[in-house]
Amino acid sequence: MSSLSATIQAVFDEPGCGKNANKSAAERKKGCTKQLQPGGAAGGCAFDGAKIALQPLTDVAHLVHGPIACEGNSWDNRGAKSSGSALWRTGFTTDINETDIVFGGEKRLYKAIREIIEKYDPPAVFVYQTCLPAMTGDDINAVCKAAAAKFGKPVIPINSPGFVGPKNLGNKLAGEALLDHVIGTEEPAYTTPYDINIIGEYNLSGELWQVKPLLDELGIRILSCISGDGKYHEVASSHRARAAMMVCSKAMINVARKMEERYGIPFFEGSFYGIGDTSDSLREIARLLVERGAPDDLLARTETVIAREEARAWAAIAPYKPRFQGKKVLLITGGVKSWSVVAALQEAGLELVGTSVKKSTKEDKERIKELMGQDAHMIEDMTPREMYKMLKDARADIMLSGGRSQFIALKAAMPWLDINQERHHAYMGYVGMVRLVEEISKTLFNPVWEQVRRPAPWNVPGDSWQDKAIAQMDAEAAALAADPVRAEVARRSRPVCVCKNVNLGTIEDAVRSHALATVAEVKSHTNATGGCGACAVRVEEILAAGPALVAAE
Amino acid sequence: MTQNAENVLDHLELFRGPEYQQMLANKRALFEDPRDPAEVERVREWAKTPEYREKNFAREALTVNPAKACQPLGAVFAAVGFEGTIPFVHGSQGCVAYYRSHFSRHFKEPSSCVSSSMTEDAAVFGGLNNMIDGLANTYSMYKPKMIAVSTTCMAEVIGDDLNAFIKTAKEKGSVPADYDVPFAHTPAFVGSHVTGYDNVMKGILEHFWDGKAGTAPKLERQPNGKINFIGGFDGYTVGNLREIKRLFGLMGIDYTILGDNSDVWDTPTDGEFRMYDGGTTLTDAAEAVHAKATISMQEYCTEKTLPLIAAHGQEVAAFNHPIGVAGTDKFLMTLARIAGVEIPEALALERGRLVDAIADSSAHIHGKKFAIYGDPDLCLGLAAFLLELGAEPTHVLATNGNKAWAEKVQALFDSSPFGKNCHVYPGKDLWHMRSLLFTEPVDFLIGNTYGKYLERDTGTPLIRIGFPIFDRHHHHRYPVWGYQGGLNVLVWILDKIFDEIDKSTNVPSKTDYSFDIIR
Repeated sequence: MSSLSATIQAVFDEPGCGKNANKSAAERKKGCTKQLQPGGAAGGCAFDGAKIALQPLTDVAHLVHGPIACEGNSWDNRGAKSSGSALWRTGFTTDINETDIVFGGEKRLYKAIREIIEKYDPPAVFVYQTCLPAMTGDDINAVCKAAAAKFGKPVIPINSPGFVGPKNLGNKLAGEALLDHVIGTEEPAYTTPYDINIIGEYNLSGELWQVKPLLDELGIRILSCISGDGKYHEVASSHRARAAMMVCSKAMINVARKMEERYGIPFFEGSFYGIGDTSDSLREIARLLVERGAPDDLLARTETVIAREEARAWAAIAPYKPRFQGKKVLLITGGVKSWSVVAALQEAGLELVGTSVKKSTKEDKERIKELMGQDAHMIEDMTPREMYKMLKDARADIMLSGGRSQFIALKAAMPWLDINQERHHAYMGYVGMVRLVEEISKTLFNPVWEQVRRPAPWNVPGDSWQDKAIAQMDAEAAALAADPVRAEVARRSRPVCVCKNVNLGTIEDAVRSHALATVAEVKSHTNATGGCGACAVRVEEILAAGPALVAAE
Repeated sequence: MTQNAENVLDHLELFRGPEYQQMLANKRALFEDPRDPAEVERVREWAKTPEYREKNFAREALTVNPAKACQPLGAVFAAVGFEGTIPFVHGSQGCVAYYRSHFSRHFKEPSSCVSSSMTEDAAVFGGLNNMIDGLANTYSMYKPKMIAVSTTCMAEVIGDDLNAFIKTAKEKGSVPADYDVPFAHTPAFVGSHVTGYDNVMKGILEHFWDGKAGTAPKLERQPNGKINFIGGFDGYTVGNLREIKRLFGLMGIDYTILGDNSDVWDTPTDGEFRMYDGGTTLTDAAEAVHAKATISMQEYCTEKTLPLIAAHGQEVAAFNHPIGVAGTDKFLMTLARIAGVEIPEALALERGRLVDAIADSSAHIHGKKFAIYGDPDLCLGLAAFLLELGAEPTHVLATNGNKAWAEKVQALFDSSPFGKNCHVYPGKDLWHMRSLLFTEPVDFLIGNTYGKYLERDTGTPLIRIGFPIFDRHHHHRYPVWGYQGGLNVLVWILDKIFDEIDKSTNVPSKTDYSFDIIR
């Protein structure tokens, strides 16, 4: 069994990841995760990442080995849905105390595993390592091994203590644990040519169930979903699937790729968000299955289902058109979702005035341009003040975004609808898009927004902080317009690489004075893209604009 | 198992035992000539139909399950709000027992009130002697600072003249000649408890301002900067009046609350029985005539009082039990304008917090349908708040609401797109409401304790807001006015909504896939 650090190293070097493949050997070694900024309000830890990735496995007892902090805060905190066992919702922890820190907590862990097996008899126990026992040296691998041998039951160590890195790394380490200890350890009762795995789907709000009936209709069996509404035996025998769909690429790409490597299960990256995407994904599943030997009438049957479902969805969305006449949407979300929902929103008659491209790839941006036209507003980074101004100028009536922007949106007095993880409605599949449109309609016409936007009626106009901020912004804009020198300074000071704190001017200067032509060259001169690498797309754009820049000199 | 001294069972459980069940079944079968259960079921179902609703709404004479109480109840409510005052109800004793138990059950406090205990002879010969003896006994036994006299129907029917009776009683030495005995005629066969409140409030102000029934000179109004405040008949008076005092304090306004019963219905348990506590002092009540203006929180509780005050030269302003952001905005701005003060930043913050709370959770209320019943002003306040939240007050019913009230509610509906499919029902009762809930179902019902029968029969979850609330404790200690009050009402509504979601998702292995900890 490899050490934790070796596993982490291996996870970083992920050939399935396009970004990783473009890196130098040295960079790859450094890892793909953005270093967390001390003092920053960053996201979760690796333990949390592992826990949320595996917690949706419903019949497993998830035992957190650590002080109460870890399970106390993560117990049942995600809206995944189960069609069977509710054991995953029971909070199991060793709740270690001072004595365990001093003398070691392995015995307590072993006893806890025994008590779980005696009282609940689950098909497996997952043991999550946390920071403290990892530091004091509790060997959970050994304990799990001993317990598994003693009780004749899979006891799986999930070695992802919080301090090793961020949430995303934890997702991957969870995947590694499945690959090392679970996948391929059992055989399915029977197999069919229509067996697939869905990887990186968590069945939040039960949204997978909105797609499953279509798969059922086509005779496609989800042999295993990792991990939404999953069961231990399904995951254990998932290596017999004929094809796989990978839903949330960042989280579980290692699982999909290694299963392809080990068991020859081809996979594709797809999404069930958006009508077109759902159709594409269904097509892709059918294609892969046929390639693997399923009868090829599946392709035609799939097209029939797609045609029927698309027609139904568009018909259900059509009635919203009159309501949405002239309503404008601002979309602030990461990557794929930016364009995957655009088509549905447009079909419902909403006008998109902008979309964020912070996490989008070049391809994503191209798709957006295709859908929204060349003059699409692509917002790299928007301050709450700018959001507010956009709303105030009646350029947007509603903002669709992830939960993290919720409070900014509220303070900026912007009608807001959550389309990311913390949502309480299922937006997956064809029906999901109809639901999204319905929710947009409800949000748009919720009277609270009028209330939120209106300052207290006794306020003197122009005296509120919003009015002051707008006035300040207008004044700044006017000053810049009047003063080309300052305008240029402002333009050049816009940040490009946030990780390494490199602004546009620095990059332009470097490009010009050293005649740089590639992202790698820009990086060696300015350090830009040397952090998370997400700004490489921006740098490419700057490079593409290069000749014009030089010509303007 | 019959009752057992080792383990004494409450009635909830005891009568479920087999021998009691057997006994009740035998009684039904052998002595009660039971109906065919199928027939009972058929009628039960029939009573849910539009056909039955039509018959129900065609009722002319019979009131079934009224959502109102009588004038004297409101009279007592108003009277106890004055310092050291005992309400004296001229009429039959039984009525008074009702008022006391009603208030005690709602406020969980003793409620002091006396009666002239009229009996048959008094009914025939008039109640003068009862008045003379009653005032004398009350004065000597309970040592009140003021006795506020109101009437029951019995005294009204025989035409007892309170003014003359009190005068005679004073002449006979029941109470000193200069002792304050304001009075009001409050027959139950006219209006409702809100009318009684109005009459007594008017009677007390008239007494102090207009020469104490001819025994003192009328007061000459010398305007000052004070503001008078009248809460009206209000089940949340304890929490509300304290909140109002806080608001006035924050705004730096010099005020007099007329009829401040917030202390007498919330006395501490510290070993001392307070028959009287707090209340508007008699001096303040008299000097209230000099105030700049009077604010009534409930228009339909002060229909006669406000014109009296206006006639004395004050500005008057009436609200309809404002709940929520817009209602409170209007109330505070009127107050600020009249008093010539600014609304402090502290209240702007409270406003912002309420708006924030609404924004955080309004998605759960938005689009939900509600039925409301209660007193006219409360109905208006609640309906306005629901519209503000994007909910639909589909049925709004007040047994003591009149045509003018209905028009006002309709105007409120018309002011919002959410009021489009909503209807107002003046003068209807809870049996009408039952038909409405069956034929045009809503998501939630807002009303007083009596709504629990509607909840049971129709399955519409009841949010208890109103008067009386007998079966839940202490809600009257929380305000529903001001931004803080709006927050309370919001929370009560949300609590019920989430309870219902949990209830519908709590069957293990069936519906509990959505039994979530985060809502």
